[in-house]
Amino acid sequence: MTNDVIIHDVVVVGAGLAGTWAAMTAAENGVKDVAILSKIHPLRSHSGAAQGGIAAVLNNVRPVAGTGPRGPLEQIPPGEDPVDSFDLHMFDTIKGSDWLGDQDAIEILVKDAPDVVFQYEHMGCVFSRTPDGRIAQRRFGGHSAPRANFSADRTGLVLLHTIHEQALFHNVKFYSEWYVMDLIIEDNIARGVVAINVLTGKIQMIRAKAVMFGTGGYGQAYKVTSNAYANTGDGVAMAYDAGAPLMDMEFVQFHPTGLYRHGFLMTEACRGEGGYLINKDGDRFMSKYAPDKMELAPRDLVSRSEQTEINEGRGVMEDGQGLFLDMRHLGREKIMERLPEVRDLAIAFAHIDAIDEPVPIQPTAHYSMGGIPTTADGEVLANAKGDLVTGFFAAGEVACVSVHGANRLGTNSLLEASVFGRRAGHAIADFVKGGARLYPVTSDPVKRNHQQVQQLFDNDGPELVEDIVQDLKTTMTNKAGIYRNEEDLKSALDTIHKLQQRFKNIRVMDKSSRFNTNLSMTLEAKHLLSFSEVIVQGALNRTESRGAHSRTDHPKRDDESWLKHTIAHKGEDGRPQLSYKDVTLYWDRFPPQERKY
Amino acid sequence: MSNDNSQRTVTVSIQRFDPDVDKKPHMQDYQVEMTKGMTILDALHEIKTHQDGSVTYRRSCRHGICGSCAMLINGRNTLACKTPLIDEVNHKNRVTLGPLPYLPIIKDMVVDRTTFWQQYLRVKPWLIPPDDIPEKEFRMSKEEVKALHDAESCIMCGACYSSCTVIGLNKHYVGPHALLKAFMRVMDPRDEAPGQRLADLDGADGVYRCHTVFNCIDACPKGLNPTQAIETLRKLAQKRKKFETTRRKRQQHLQESIPAK
Repeated sequence: MTNDVIIHDVVVVGAGLAGTWAAMTAAENGVKDVAILSKIHPLRSHSGAAQGGIAAVLNNVRPVAGTGPRGPLEQIPPGEDPVDSFDLHMFDTIKGSDWLGDQDAIEILVKDAPDVVFQYEHMGCVFSRTPDGRIAQRRFGGHSAPRANFSADRTGLVLLHTIHEQALFHNVKFYSEWYVMDLIIEDNIARGVVAINVLTGKIQMIRAKAVMFGTGGYGQAYKVTSNAYANTGDGVAMAYDAGAPLMDMEFVQFHPTGLYRHGFLMTEACRGEGGYLINKDGDRFMSKYAPDKMELAPRDLVSRSEQTEINEGRGVMEDGQGLFLDMRHLGREKIMERLPEVRDLAIAFAHIDAIDEPVPIQPTAHYSMGGIPTTADGEVLANAKGDLVTGFFAAGEVACVSVHGANRLGTNSLLEASVFGRRAGHAIADFVKGGARLYPVTSDPVKRNHQQVQQLFDNDGPELVEDIVQDLKTTMTNKAGIYRNEEDLKSALDTIHKLQQRFKNIRVMDKSSRFNTNLSMTLEAKHLLSFSEVIVQGALNRTESRGAHSRTDHPKRDDESWLKHTIAHKGEDGRPQLSYKDVTLYWDRFPPQERKY
Repeated sequence: MSNDNSQRTVTVSIQRFDPDVDKKPHMQDYQVEMTKGMTILDALHEIKTHQDGSVTYRRSCRHGICGSCAMLINGRNTLACKTPLIDEVNHKNRVTLGPLPYLPIIKDMVVDRTTFWQQYLRVKPWLIPPDDIPEKEFRMSKEEVKALHDAESCIMCGACYSSCTVIGLNKHYVGPHALLKAFMRVMDPRDEAPGQRLADLDGADGVYRCHTVFNCIDACPKGLNPTQAIETLRKLAQKRKKFETTRRKRQQHLQESIPAK
C-alpha cells in the first residue's frame, strides 16, 4: 500500500450548510486551496432535509390585528411599526435554551441572521414571497413573532443547493464519497485527517493548515429518528477520540411530529401554519401543557406532553404510540402552496392525504444540541478553561457554540449552520492568510487506520454489527430518551459498556476494497457506541431537568448547581471524564426566569 | 395501495456486479420477511445488515429528499426509500432490483454518475446576479416564485437522466436534470445572463436533442416535468433577444415593491 499524501490549505469535512459555507467563504476571501470531503455526495447532505424555515428578524409580516396568536399574517406596509426585534429573537432563543445557551453567541446568531438570509437570496435561493415581493415569513414554535423565512416546506433543500452552487463557482474542490475515519491532532495542533476513498478502498492522509468539521448530528443513536442514515455522529466521535472535548452531549432534541413508525419529519411548519395536535379522544391536549402557546410551544415541551399522553393511554394507532397531527382545517389551497412536500410524504409512506385525514405522528430524535465546543468564530476549545486547539474549526450541528443550550428552537438550526459556518470561513481565511503552517505529522496515522480496518476484516467474530446497533438504539430510546431517571441511565451505561465489548466480536461481511459500505457502516457503529456513552454519562451526572434533558427523579431546573455546560474528555481508561464550564449570561438583560409557555 | 395484512416472505432479486471479481452482472435472490410499511430500502437494509453485507447501494435520508437511492425497481427508475415493498412484489411475491440504466456500474446498484454531474456543471447552476445588489432582498412576485418551485424541488436523483433514451445513446446531451436547472436560472428574474444561457443550450447537444419521449416525467419521483421545461427553453431560445430585453426591463424594478393587483 502506498502512503501518498494529499495536501490542501484547508480541509473541510462534511458538505452540508456549515461545511460548505465555511469552504465557500474561505475561498471567497482569498484562500485558493480549499477542499471538502464528504462521505456522501454533497447534495445528499442532511441539511437538505430541513423543511420549515430559517429564522431572521426581517419584519416583513405581522399578525392581523385582533386575530390572536394563531390568526392570519399580513405583510407590514412600508413605514409601519415592526413587530419583531433582535432582543425578542434573543429572548426567545434564550428561553428556548432554558438559559443554557451562551448569550454572547446567541446575540451574534440573531444579529448576523438577516444578513445571512439576504446573502442566500442574492445567491439565488428562491424564497416564498409576500404579495409585495419580500421574503415570506411564518410562525414557528417558541418564537414570539413570525420570523421563519421559508421556501414552501423545502427550505433546507434550496439553501443547500444554493450554497453548493456557490462553492462550485468559487472553485472549492470536492471529494465526494470519501469517508473520513480519523482526525490527526498532535500536541494540540490539528494537522489533517485520514480518509477512505470509498470508490477504491484506499486509505489516505489529507494534510492541511486548517481542518474544519461540519459533519452534522448524532440522531442515529436512537431508534425512532428524523435523521438520515448518515447522521452517525462521526465528527463528534473522531474529535473525542483525538482528545478534543465534547460539550452538553446529554441534550438531545425530540421533535414532536415525526411520521408515525418512520420517524422522519412532518415539519413544525404544519403547526406554524395552524395545524392541531389531537389525542385519541379528539382533544387538543396541548391546552393542558401550554395553554398560551398551545401547539407552538417549544419542541421539548410538546414532545414531553405527547409522551405523557401516550404513557397515560391516550395515544392512537394499534400500539398507542402515536398521536394525530390534524391539518384538515387549513384547506387544500394552503396545504398545496405551503406544505406540498409533507403532504406527499404522508401519502407515500402512510397512505394518508393530510387534506382529508389527520396524520399519525410520534416524537422522534431530531437534533443534537451538544457537540464540539467552539468560539463564535468556529475555533474549537481544548478544555473548559477556553484554550483553543490550533487549526481546528467546527460549525453546525457537530459543534456546540452554544446557541441552543438545552433545547433548540425550530428554524434556528439552518440559521446556526449558516451563520457560524460563514464565520468559521472568515476565521479560517484569516488563520491561513495570517501565516498558518502546515505542521508535520510525526505518527503514522495511515498505518494505524489501515491496521484497524485489517483487524475488523480479520476479526470474523459471531456478532452482527446491526444487532449491536439495534440494541444500542433501543437502549438509548427507552433509557436516555424523552424522560430519564438514575436507574435507567445507570442501566443504559452498563448496556453500552457491554455493547462496546460485543463490538470486539463482530464480523464485517464484505471484505472487498471497492465501494465497501459495509466497512463504513461498521466504523459508524463504533462511533455510535463511543459518543452514546458520553450522552448517558452527562445525563446521569446532571441531576436536574433542563430543556430536553428531563429527569423524572429531579424534575426541577437547578440553577444553583447546574447552570453550567458539561465538558467531556475521553479519559485514559477510555471513559468520559466530565468537567464543567460557566454559561455566558447577560445578567442585566436576560437573567434566568421560570420557563413557562 | 398497501393494505397491510401482508406478513409474508418475499424474494428480492438483485442484480449483482463487482467489476473486480465478476465478468458480467448476475442475479442473486434473497428472502425477506415483509413487515408492515416496509419499503424497498428497508428490505435492502435487512439484506445488507443480516444476510449479505456485500450488497451495495447508496442511501441516506430515507424519505425522498436526498436523492441517493434512485435505482431500477421492476424495470422502472425510482427511489427505493419511497417505494413500498408490497406495491412492487408480483404474484410470485418477487421484486427485481438493479442499477440505474445507461450508466457504468461501480458495484451492484451503485452507478458512476460522472457525466450526470458534468452536465449539471456545464449549465452553470449558480445564479448570475445583477451588479447592483440591494441592502435587503430582491423583490419577486409570487408568480415568479411559483414558476421556479418545480425546478427547485429537483433532488438530482438521476431517475430522469437514466430513463432518457437520448442519454442512452449520447452522453454529450445535457440531459433533463441539467436542463431543468438551466430552466430555473433562465426563468429567475434575478439572473442576468438568460440570453447567454439560452445560447449555450442552443447547440446540437442542448434543448433540441430532447425527443420528447416523456420518460423523464414518468421516472421523476418528485412528480416534476422536465420535458415541459425543455419545451419552454426551446421556445425562449428562438426569441432570445426579446427575452433578454424583457429581463433587462424587469431587472430595473428588482428592488421595488411588486404592485398590488
